[in-house]
Amino acid sequence: MALKAFSQEWMDAWLKSIQTSQEYKEIAKEWEGSVSIIVNPDPSKGIPEPIYMWTDYWHGEAKDFHYCDKAKAESANFVMSGEYIRWKQVAKKELDSTKALMQGKLKLKGDLTYVVKHVKTVNKVVDLLAALDTVFPDD
Amino acid sequence: MTKGYAGQFLRVDLSSGVCENFTIDEAILRKFIGGSSLGAKLYIDSYNLHADPLAPESPLMVMTGPMVGSGFSGTSRFAVCGKSPLTGIWGEAACGGTFSPEMKRAGYDGIVITGASPKPVYLSLADGVAKLADASDLWGKDIYETTDVLKAPDKSIKVLAIGPAGENLVKFAAIGNDKAHFIGRTGLGAVMGSKRLKAIIARGSGRLEKADDARYKELARAAVQEIKDSTLAGSLHAMGSDAAMVTGMFSGDVPIKNWSVGEDFDLSISLGGPTLSEKYLTRAHACSNCSLACKRVVVVKDGPYQTEEGPGPEYETCGSFGTMLMNGDLTAVIKANELCNRYGMDTISCGSAIALSMELYEKGTLSKADVDGLDLAWGNMEAVMPLLKKIACREGFGDTLAEGSLNAARKIGKDAVDSVVHVKGLDLPMHDPRGFHGMGLAYMMSNRGACHLQHAALATEQGMASWPQLFDMKDDYNGQISDEKAVLIYNSENYGILGNSLSICHYLIYVLQPETIRDAFNAITGFNLSFKDLLEAGMRDWTLKRGINNLMGVTSRDDVLPRRVLTPLTDGAAAGSVPDMKRLLSEYYALRGLDERGFPREEKLAELGLPELRSMLYK
Repeated sequence: MALKAFSQEWMDAWLKSIQTSQEYKEIAKEWEGSVSIIVNPDPSKGIPEPIYMWTDYWHGEAKDFHYCDKAKAESANFVMSGEYIRWKQVAKKELDSTKALMQGKLKLKGDLTYVVKHVKTVNKVVDLLAALDTVFPDD
Repeated sequence: MTKGYAGQFLRVDLSSGVCENFTIDEAILRKFIGGSSLGAKLYIDSYNLHADPLAPESPLMVMTGPMVGSGFSGTSRFAVCGKSPLTGIWGEAACGGTFSPEMKRAGYDGIVITGASPKPVYLSLADGVAKLADASDLWGKDIYETTDVLKAPDKSIKVLAIGPAGENLVKFAAIGNDKAHFIGRTGLGAVMGSKRLKAIIARGSGRLEKADDARYKELARAAVQEIKDSTLAGSLHAMGSDAAMVTGMFSGDVPIKNWSVGEDFDLSISLGGPTLSEKYLTRAHACSNCSLACKRVVVVKDGPYQTEEGPGPEYETCGSFGTMLMNGDLTAVIKANELCNRYGMDTISCGSAIALSMELYEKGTLSKADVDGLDLAWGNMEAVMPLLKKIACREGFGDTLAEGSLNAARKIGKDAVDSVVHVKGLDLPMHDPRGFHGMGLAYMMSNRGACHLQHAALATEQGMASWPQLFDMKDDYNGQISDEKAVLIYNSENYGILGNSLSICHYLIYVLQPETIRDAFNAITGFNLSFKDLLEAGMRDWTLKRGINNLMGVTSRDDVLPRRVLTPLTDGAAAGSVPDMKRLLSEYYALRGLDERGFPREEKLAELGLPELRSMLYK
């Protein structure tokens, strides 16, 4: 059954897919740090309030993914933010996450050099997200 | 005087030693704007297109644009143009740095140099006065030494100089600005050397007048904010252009082992921007007035390839002296970059010629005796360092490579030409058309031969920029299909070419909103050009240079990709993918108004206001 995007179930499924991926463990063995995802509100698309999500990764392991408040989201090692429509495009692999960053469609706060160095890890995490059967609020 | 321009150009005849100023009508400036576009217009109007590139009558032009000297970020660019000794067709190269704003402060928008001096000279520009001076003592010095001597009396003097490679007419000789910025492609340093012009120096106190200074200041501030907000700009500032080494390996962009291998993540990590910045960067450096500051200043303190603190390699050099040679030692790339800078050689063509040699050495086409006893095994950088000096000084096997890859392969014979990866004689830059089919089309149709900077395809097809307000385009293209690419490249050329005429850095074209650039240009010049006008200026530029090339002998038969990049890779992100050349060309020719010979149709020339070209092509 399709999971509702940005729900706790959806985050849990994403976390599980990362935790069970041997390929991810190998690729991400040097990654250290938390990543928060901020979805800007878009009432016309069914997102009345901003969504703050916390994801955490450490040397090939993924820890718990959960909702958080704004302050915690902004304390992550890497803070990625953007409009709902852009996150949807990324989650459906209609827009490459690196291209979204370069075009300014998503914003990143954090050490960009580190992200580029570990872009293989980033791509794998997004690939696993895109593989989930997801239904979006405006579908 | 037209706002944004210094108001005069300089004509120098080195045979007679006469320097004279001239002006250009505003109507011409509005059509061709500046940079290499205006250079092409001057060329076709006044000079013999059929002369040998190294003959005294062939002109060398140093051209700025109206935004240069304004202080707007990214506008310290300038173009050097003429006929390329490497390709035998239209040649141009551009760089940023410090020279062009100083040249305008010294009173000149452009310089056209013909003739050949009986002895080495340098040209001095200062507040509207041009003088030639003896450079006999400088002849033989490298670019760094020459620059130090010429700046000794006053550090604020800005210098353009050639090194031994230019003096020795190496076909890919470069011209250096203040030891940090290089006019590399198409070998125009050899044209400068053929004229025995060692250097040009500029110092001035003039001030650029703008049409609307208040509006300009507002836009200049907006540009700084846009740069600050841009992740792409942040990436360039943090890692330089070499950030592309890491990301490019995932998309099949990076050429490896003379374009024969598809993937090597160990190489991209050891050679990429993060490693360059973490291990060897001493500081970031900016061209005049640019708030992006993408340039690397690096030093290698230990090991066999120690360098002095100086300009670090761009992505292109990390490709040509790194992945292309199967060399993962970044210190060796930094050293090769320093040597090429000193000798004055284009790192793309130089590295490509060495990659070709390594392949031929491995195949047995070249023996150790053929290459002066050097062991040109893949990755052997100990052999590369002395080979660079041999090329610059035309010694032994270096003399063969100094002719450029294609001519060297023809001289070597057997099947060597099959291993040369070029379009119209210019070695491909470090972006694989099997990963990005549109780039393949751009290589085929770029007017100086295979080029990644005569258009904005790098930004649009790879997803660094998206400009739906300019033309219909998607946010995300699949690089490995040829659908929709002809129109993307056509549009990306028409806009990206403005980098050459406005003299604005391509990175700023990628980062800034087109409205900001257009409005700043209009605030400086008062021309009030629309996007439609500017894109038409881009079309005119492309068509004029194409016509010049047609007159120099280019036809549709030359619009072709080399066999190597039409051979599918067996590994990596672009495995199995090759551009559909026939389809891309067919669609592009229709958009560009080219006939089956590859000539612009008469009606296209009329539409773009190019009567001089029309009369020459259809007399």
